[in-house]
Amino acid sequence: MTKVRVPSGAGESRGPLGLLLVAVPVFLLGWMTVWPILSGLVTTLFPKDAAGFSLELYDRFFSDDYSLDNLRLTLWTCGVTSLILLAVSVPLALYLRFARGPLASYVQTLAMFPMFVPSIILAFAFIRVLGPNGTVDTILNALGLAKIRSPYLTVWGPVIGLVWDNIPLTVLILTSGLGAVPNPAIEAARDVGARPLTLFVHIILPRMWSSIFVVISLTILGLFTAFTLPYVLGPASPEMMGPFMQRTFSDLRNPEMALTQATIVMGFCILFGLFYVRSVARNRRD
Amino acid sequence: MLRRHFMLSVAGSAVGMLVLPKVAFAEAGTIDWYTNSDTNILDFWTNTVAPKFEVANPGLKLNIVDAGDGMDAITQRALAALETKTDPKADFIEQGDPLSPKGAMEAGLYANLKDSLSNWSKVNPLGIETDFAVPYRGSQVLLAFDGTKVTPEDAPKTFEDLVKWIKANPGQFIYNRPDKGGSGGNFVRRVIHEVNGRDPSKFTVENFTPEYAEKMLAPAWELLKDLAPSLFEGGAYTGGNTPSIQLLSQSAVTMIPAWSDMALQNIANGVLPETTGITQLTDLAFCGGFARSVVFANGANRDAAIKLADFVLTEEIQSAIISELGGFPGVAWDYVSADLRQKYQAVVPSSIPTFPGGDWGSAINDGWYRNVAPNVDRNA
Repeated sequence: MTKVRVPSGAGESRGPLGLLLVAVPVFLLGWMTVWPILSGLVTTLFPKDAAGFSLELYDRFFSDDYSLDNLRLTLWTCGVTSLILLAVSVPLALYLRFARGPLASYVQTLAMFPMFVPSIILAFAFIRVLGPNGTVDTILNALGLAKIRSPYLTVWGPVIGLVWDNIPLTVLILTSGLGAVPNPAIEAARDVGARPLTLFVHIILPRMWSSIFVVISLTILGLFTAFTLPYVLGPASPEMMGPFMQRTFSDLRNPEMALTQATIVMGFCILFGLFYVRSVARNRRD
Repeated sequence: MLRRHFMLSVAGSAVGMLVLPKVAFAEAGTIDWYTNSDTNILDFWTNTVAPKFEVANPGLKLNIVDAGDGMDAITQRALAALETKTDPKADFIEQGDPLSPKGAMEAGLYANLKDSLSNWSKVNPLGIETDFAVPYRGSQVLLAFDGTKVTPEDAPKTFEDLVKWIKANPGQFIYNRPDKGGSGGNFVRRVIHEVNGRDPSKFTVENFTPEYAEKMLAPAWELLKDLAPSLFEGGAYTGGNTPSIQLLSQSAVTMIPAWSDMALQNIANGVLPETTGITQLTDLAFCGGFARSVVFANGANRDAAIKLADFVLTEEIQSAIISELGGFPGVAWDYVSADLRQKYQAVVPSSIPTFPGGDWGSAINDGWYRNVAPNVDRNA
């Protein structure tokens, strides 16, 4: 995924046909991404109430503690989810890269499983299992242990759900990144007596960084717009930007403010998007 | 329901939606029937009302059409047909409002059901708004509780009792965010009624101003904030009607506000145990509403449609609305079977207050999110 090389010789046939091939995606990108961003910027910077250019809507957002709390929670959730996601997925990817045999393929199937589960199903399963008096509580109770404090309806609810939901993509990208680690390098290091940790830090990790950056930026882009899991599993307040934007738009019927929130979210996403583009570009240069 | 039957009915209605509008020519004896209600209502009509009606009235048939979001178009078409004196190709609207479109009722689009229905006298007077629409089913928010922990006698009867009960049983009550479902929404509205002298007439669509709303709603936020520490997890709020019912079914809480039809249906299909109790406040009930059917006066099968509207008010169908649909009857409770009346005695409404929507809805939701929800100290 991170290594795309144009076969040598392909360059000669480039020309009108190549341009034609990219015309459709470029047009779609312009129409469905660039245009809405520009129109959002114009609408929010030239609000209806003001005569001309005005930062009033942004001022309202950044002077409103309630909105800021929601933004802070979104950033916090993004950060914590990415960290936990890496902590879970890196060992999994390492295992899948180096393990052989039938067990590994079962693990791989299992790791891909969340990809095929719609998040609304996941949310209700979560309530049954980790919710109050759910399966986990029942098992703990049967073992004579204390009840857990359920993460349902706390900020940890969406974190757990989002981690689970994002495992497949993360593992896929990391595993493909690990493909760049040549076996001879590892064997050579082992031969000179490198221990697993040294092996990981000095041989494997340096070749993984770019895929880790790609994973983090892709995950965070997804988390910013997450809706179902924060809505069903999270607390009423502070809420993540996804449900907050939806509520502002349809419930409070304030499309201007919702657009402002979306533009601010877009700003953060562009930051992480740049991060992603840079990682990919650097990877290609390698 | 068997999965095969389910699949068949899903496939059937999917095909039906594609095919029916095209063959919906007004045919003598075929009532063109439209709804925009949920699938459970469509199923109820398809599987219960239509077969019974067709057996009772040989020669008459129902052409059941799910109008989805297109209900306005059907009504507009009927209004246009009234002006051009053509056939609207629609006879019966399962849930309609004779006040819309504006002026349609005065122009004579809707049949006067008060004069034409022999069963009109049975209709619950609480549900009558105009003579042109027959309230045939209703639902209302009520309290659902775990009958193994609270006896019906100890269940709160007034709002004051409820507050006392919530405070005496910390962590055992939860309601959903008011914008995410009517059960929590109407609980919040009941609080607003409570702090404003239990007088629903103080709130109308027209009297909304931001200042008036601020004045009327502020005391409700105080009361709700005061309740928060005694709620589930010290002030958690579920994301909808169903998650609240789920918490009750998992015995994580003892009492929730719930829609009557959802509570009864969940008890009937075993999601909530048989022991679940339901009760309504007696000082002022939670808000609710009726679904009202209308008949187009210019429909080709007008008389047959009126027969259908009359048929829906019979004891047979009204009892089925309670037992199969989990709804409230549209007729006064004296006209449903005695054992059903006995069984649901606690929920028989003596009043069904309503709350205006529009700006009030936005003010309530935003006010709640800003004032009540953040006041949660999760570490307390």
